[in-house]
Amino acid sequence: MPTTLRARPPTAPTTPRRPRPPHWVLALALTGAASVVTILLLIGGYLVGGISGGTVDWITLLTSAEWSPAHGSFGALSMIFGTAAVGVLALALAVPVGWAAAIALTEYLPPRLARPLRTCVELLAAVPSIVYGLLGIMVIRPLISSVAHVPGGDSLLAAGIVLAIMIVPTVVAVSVDALSAVPDRYRESGYSLGLTRREVIRSAVLPLARTGMRAAVLLGLARALGEAIAVYLVVGRADGRLPDGIGGLLDALVRPGQTLTTKLAGPEPVLAGTSGPHFAALCGLGVLVLSLVAAATVWSTRVGGRRHEAGKPPTVRSASSLRVQQDRATAVLRLAALALPAVLLFAMLIILLAKGSTAFDPAFWFTPASGSAEGGVRDQILGTVLLMVTTGLIALPLGFGAGVLIGVRASARTARLLQTVTVVVGGTPTILLGLTGFVLLSGALGWGRSWLAGTLVLVPVVVPVVALSTSARVRGMPQELTESAMALGLSRSQYIRSVVIPYSWPATITGLLLGLARAAGETAPLLFTATVFFGAPALPGGVVDSPIQALPTHIFTLSQDSGDPQSMTQAWSSALALVMITAVLLSAAVALRNRREGERWTA
Amino acid sequence: MSRNASNLVPPAHHASVSTAPGTSGTPHAGRLRRRALPAAVLLLGSLLASCAGGDTETSALSISGSTTVAPVAADAAESLRKQGLEATVATQGGSAGGISQLGAGQIDIAMSSKPLGEEERSAHPDTTFHTTQIGTDAVGVITTREVADAGVDDLTKEQVRDLFEGNITNWSELGGPDLEVFVYDKEPGRGTREALDSYLYEGATPPPPPETDNFAIVGGNLETRSKLKSTPGSVAPLSTGFIEGHDDLVAVTLDGVSPEPGNIASGDYPMTRPLYLITDGRPQGRARDFIDYVLSGTGQEHLTRHGYLTLEELGK
Repeated sequence: MPTTLRARPPTAPTTPRRPRPPHWVLALALTGAASVVTILLLIGGYLVGGISGGTVDWITLLTSAEWSPAHGSFGALSMIFGTAAVGVLALALAVPVGWAAAIALTEYLPPRLARPLRTCVELLAAVPSIVYGLLGIMVIRPLISSVAHVPGGDSLLAAGIVLAIMIVPTVVAVSVDALSAVPDRYRESGYSLGLTRREVIRSAVLPLARTGMRAAVLLGLARALGEAIAVYLVVGRADGRLPDGIGGLLDALVRPGQTLTTKLAGPEPVLAGTSGPHFAALCGLGVLVLSLVAAATVWSTRVGGRRHEAGKPPTVRSASSLRVQQDRATAVLRLAALALPAVLLFAMLIILLAKGSTAFDPAFWFTPASGSAEGGVRDQILGTVLLMVTTGLIALPLGFGAGVLIGVRASARTARLLQTVTVVVGGTPTILLGLTGFVLLSGALGWGRSWLAGTLVLVPVVVPVVALSTSARVRGMPQELTESAMALGLSRSQYIRSVVIPYSWPATITGLLLGLARAAGETAPLLFTATVFFGAPALPGGVVDSPIQALPTHIFTLSQDSGDPQSMTQAWSSALALVMITAVLLSAAVALRNRREGERWTA
Repeated sequence: MSRNASNLVPPAHHASVSTAPGTSGTPHAGRLRRRALPAAVLLLGSLLASCAGGDTETSALSISGSTTVAPVAADAAESLRKQGLEATVATQGGSAGGISQLGAGQIDIAMSSKPLGEEERSAHPDTTFHTTQIGTDAVGVITTREVADAGVDDLTKEQVRDLFEGNITNWSELGGPDLEVFVYDKEPGRGTREALDSYLYEGATPPPPPETDNFAIVGGNLETRSKLKSTPGSVAPLSTGFIEGHDDLVAVTLDGVSPEPGNIASGDYPMTRPLYLITDGRPQGRARDFIDYVLSGTGQEHLTRHGYLTLEELGK
């Protein structure tokens, strides 16, 4: 009956009440951005304040190898040597393997096989560093001890190997991103010219992916330089001596030493108090670490963004007579390099499962620890969960606000500055976060060890991850959405609330879960601020004076007694429990990403 | 972190229209979000507010310092928990670390396995350190069963000094097996190290560590024990309480005197050190309850259990 329809009077569609202008949006975004800047200012303030509180003789610090607080001499050269040696070793081992594995993954393997492997590599990149430290104690130290005849096996070499194992997944994951961003048409043109696979990769793929792969190395280096705990467990306690000449170099590598970060993770920050020349010298070390790591991190984001220069004339290479054989040999080498991380992953899993099988007993999760190495880890798990929940609650709004501000770009220059600050905060060695918390919260504010202090030092770990993943998502927003919003006359804060936030929150939550997975495994920040050897109740009774126990620091304490099989069993079981918790957070991130965005989380 | 972000963040061109909830109009979700976010902010605010008004009186008694005293303090804390006294025990930095934290007002009781030094008193002029001895520990020169069984079961002071200064590098020089000596010394600030230094150098400044290849530095007692066990021919200063029940480690006699309770109490064994609980001023309130418990009969049993001497055995 068309007439009936026409008879209906035309009315305006029922629209929901027009929302009030959301004032909180701007406040949230500004608070978030301010929090990131504040974190950096606090760390900087602690370091600069410490340095100006005593006098640091920078020339002595950088050129003398004698570090002896009792005699008032503070020369950090042997620590600088240690850091350099460990960093170079880690890169020398990890980069060739990592690059070759990344090339094998993207260029040689069929996608069906490559995709799950890539996810595995990314999961490996999120394994807490304390687990790598345990692996170092159990496998690397005995190996070095027997090969190089070093008692105990504590050495710079052991630290370099542990770090290499730790950063291979990072190098592979970031390089794979760079390689798969190369459009296929370049490869197709190469093959159509009759080039072998090796030649295509060398002449068409690598030139385009080079900057991204360099960024992978720098990120790996930043991670290696900033790591404290895994190194601390295998590097020994002596300050180490400088090698005399080239011949002494090898000898120095198989001897105990110190790096800048392990010096800060040792007992000295507690002994140094909060003023005077010793404290100032330690702050000087902190400045060195922070600037090294920040330089590597910032540089890596910069090289990643630069365009490939096309002006260079191509070098003409004559075709070798053994092209096909060369191609086959390279393929074998690259696939072998890929097998290495894969074997490593399985070996680690097997060791974890074999050594930590107690963790499959539910009683282990639900009974409290008793004595030094008996019982379960109920309290430690509760403590870790408490830290995660509170850290998440604080970091979510802050990171989200900062991410929205960076993504929406108040102005391009501010956005770039904020982005850099966020990246630097994200790359800050976590031992510095712990020391800043120790000095500011315990020293200046007079707090005891407390869960809240632990939360506050973990927040800077999570906020940048949330901020960066939110801002990247916001930037990827289709232009039409912004244009329609502007055409409808939305104010800036209305646009953020009704368009930007609904579009970007899945990325925010993913970032939060990833950040929490990383925070869950952090040991260094908690050692000085939140956890104790004994006596913390399962749930804290107070706020600023209530320590807790947490899984990573529990493992750290247990691993000190590596001669006692009971302690080691307990340490491995706790490590397995920690890996399981991290894996749950990561899987949730993956699942959410797949569900909300209909694409793989690795993009 | 930027590492994670760069892996995991989708490039712009991947974002498809179907993934844009903003366009599909989700007023319901929007309303929810409108409530959820201020709620989170409120929660955060109340959290920060509550921390500002944190009541320090209800919190646990905090104890920190020497890894030698820590097992005793942990046992005492466990017993006292049943009586409603909460205490936490931490060990960051050894004896000196505990004293430094007490001076900074960060803890209630410092555990120390060395007497308070003059520098420590002058470093914290505002703190009136009050020490309470709870027992005594003997520091042994510990070596492996292999070395001791081959004939090195007694050392003179000169021999010990030569060992730790790196002048003796093979056990055969002391009548032992043809095995290289490996010295583990404790890091500075540890009570064990000071006991060894005062035995060997009697107050004079000890020389810097030897620049030999057979020398390494260790931290806590558990770490020292596991290093000793894993290194053939090693020697280290370690509390004798920590080698009880570990048959592969032996405490050698010094000038013929073994670290037996009788020799420690009589003062014949040269390397002993008092174990202290240190407070700022006379112990009061819960700190006093805690120290009184450790000094009581049941409290002193914890010392015996960990291989230390009680005050009674010392005749005090």
